[in-house]
Amino acid sequence: MKKLNEDQLNELQKDLDAIRDEVIADLGERDAKYIRKIIRLHRTLEVGGRVMMPFGFIPPVFVAATATLGIAKIIENMEIGHNVMHGQYDWMNDPALNSQTYEWDTVCTSDSWRRTHNYEHHTYTNIIGKDRDYGYAVLRLSDDVKWHPGHLLQFINYILLTVLFQWGVGVHELESEKIRRGELRWRDKLPFLKDFVRKGGRQGFKDYVFFPLLTLPVAPIVLAGNVGANLIRNIWASTVIFCGHFTQDAETFTEEECEGESKGHWYLRQLTGSSNFTGGKWLHVLSGHLSYQIEHHVFPDLPAHRYPEISEKVQAVCEKYDIPYNTGSFAKQYGTVLKRIGKFSLPDVVRTRLEGKRELQAI
Amino acid sequence: MLARLSNTKALHWLGRQLLNRDNPAGYFDPLAEAINPMWVQEYTPARVENIINETADTKTFVLKPAKRWAGFQAGQHVNICTDIEGVRRTRTFSLSSSPLLWQSEGQITLTIKRLPGGLVTNWMHDALQPGDVIGLTEAFGEFLIPEPAHPVLFIAGGSGITPILSQLQTMAAEDYRAPVTLLYYVRTHNDVIAREALQALAARWPALSLTIIATNESDEPRYLRDSDLETVAGIKAREVFLCGPKGLMDLATDLLAKRGLKEKQMHSTFFAPPAQASLDSDQLGGEVTFSNSNLKVGSEGDANLLEIAEAAGLKPQYGCRMGICHQCSCRKTSGIVVNRLTGKVSGPGEEPVQLCVSVPQGPVALDV
Repeated sequence: MKKLNEDQLNELQKDLDAIRDEVIADLGERDAKYIRKIIRLHRTLEVGGRVMMPFGFIPPVFVAATATLGIAKIIENMEIGHNVMHGQYDWMNDPALNSQTYEWDTVCTSDSWRRTHNYEHHTYTNIIGKDRDYGYAVLRLSDDVKWHPGHLLQFINYILLTVLFQWGVGVHELESEKIRRGELRWRDKLPFLKDFVRKGGRQGFKDYVFFPLLTLPVAPIVLAGNVGANLIRNIWASTVIFCGHFTQDAETFTEEECEGESKGHWYLRQLTGSSNFTGGKWLHVLSGHLSYQIEHHVFPDLPAHRYPEISEKVQAVCEKYDIPYNTGSFAKQYGTVLKRIGKFSLPDVVRTRLEGKRELQAI
Repeated sequence: MLARLSNTKALHWLGRQLLNRDNPAGYFDPLAEAINPMWVQEYTPARVENIINETADTKTFVLKPAKRWAGFQAGQHVNICTDIEGVRRTRTFSLSSSPLLWQSEGQITLTIKRLPGGLVTNWMHDALQPGDVIGLTEAFGEFLIPEPAHPVLFIAGGSGITPILSQLQTMAAEDYRAPVTLLYYVRTHNDVIAREALQALAARWPALSLTIIATNESDEPRYLRDSDLETVAGIKAREVFLCGPKGLMDLATDLLAKRGLKEKQMHSTFFAPPAQASLDSDQLGGEVTFSNSNLKVGSEGDANLLEIAEAAGLKPQYGCRMGICHQCSCRKTSGIVVNRLTGKVSGPGEEPVQLCVSVPQGPVALDV
């Protein structure tokens, strides 16, 4: 990790706080209009997708309906739900956009998400052992975790996690690895499990029982379309999120180096532990602006549509302290993610030898 | 009724299953609002039908709420909500019209004085236009006409006349059978709100005696004095309704108590102007009410609400304790807090606050 001394860290904090203060002072009508427009778009897409779906016996309509519903779920989860729950729109004082009461259209309960994501992941970002989002306790993504033969098959785990992403996120707080290790008892997790079953049941009932039954003669088509829409959302959300912290140059940290850290050090960790990807306007909207993962991690509670505007200022701060600003095209960044998953599935001996060879070739 | 109840219950259940929310109708509000704002379900929408100038700084807003609004009793208040610069603002105002107008025309009126520096009242005076839609809650308040009829004394100051206007019109229409006196204190005679309506009432309803007193027209201010009360016949037996600035209410309560009136005879409703914002640390701290826990504790200096809650033995949800994660956000129902990170001073009304970075400035009430 890039090392800065105490004074530099304090100055870094001041520089970033200044960017934040400027946005906060400017929050108003424009931000409210933006999120309301996105919510209207979501409602239109969801209603449209659901209405089209029963006519899915016409193949192009099936494709259109599934894609529409899938995109509706993506927008709701990423640009609305995730961002609202971060408190990005709490200042609007609209009960429908309140961070603590918003419930989103996915298996994970909002309460569980606020604990595991908003608190754990955003506070302990990329600290191995404290940030359980780093590899989701099923993938080995750095050499801080000891290799064992099971890791050889982790690419299969990755595919499964991606396909079933909403269920994976939903059970994340179960901390099954700690139960396996005997650090937690099942009994401790009963309240969580109850909530998980209720919300998971609700989501399953809606997409896989209620709407298919409502349109009984074409139930299989509606069921298939709804499965497809959930699958589209799962794959996209997983891919975007993996690009946020598991790219080649995104750094990891140890508990020792973060003990009693200052706000400036926390900022530095967010800057170096996250990675962006570039693209057009709609790529950013559909990723909930997590394509600006660095800006998001530095300012998780600023309205996300502001990230593109402040990106240049954040880059200027990075340049000032010679902190790397990790960005690249979507394809390039995702490529390095896949490489990381593959690389760390191998025993350290094999991995270092392969890496060594490549370095030699480079020379 | 039972069918309707089970119907709503079933709808709520389905709403939770399909839309992850208790009020399924609200899900479509963003679309409804774009087509016709009167279709919004989350609050009761009310269209502004007319705006009448009462005095230089007071206007009456004639509103037509959506039909599902449940109505009100004379003397009650209502919360209005509206988005100003993207922020939902909620304020309480007294209804100044009689419930009879709502029953016959489906209209209600709010009579609102422009508060110097007031965000919402100034916006209503300057930006709100006929045809616009604002939100309403159901009416509430215990400032009600005595039943059965009983001699009444109203003491009003300035815009404190508004709930009393509603009561007087209702009492006149019912031909209220007991003496009613209104002592109405205004700054100057140009500041009398609804002068014509009051004079018309006094002319056609013999039970009402009306006295308007200007406080600031001579060199010496002429506030409420005991001799004003002297003129009220049988004052000891009257139910007294007070509404106006704090100074007037305190003075009246004092003089009435000296005349032997009991506390339960006196009904008052406050019109306190919002306190001045300040960042001096010796002005920080204050009594914190945790409404859901039935707990009140004092605090001093720059202790934040989370620390205060924990010191009081409460365990509110929290996360980072540094203002990042919003885990500890909860609803403030009243009072002013200072944000420790930004130094920003909050408004006095209802809004979400982050406990871990909010320091009370004066009394604060929280839904914790």
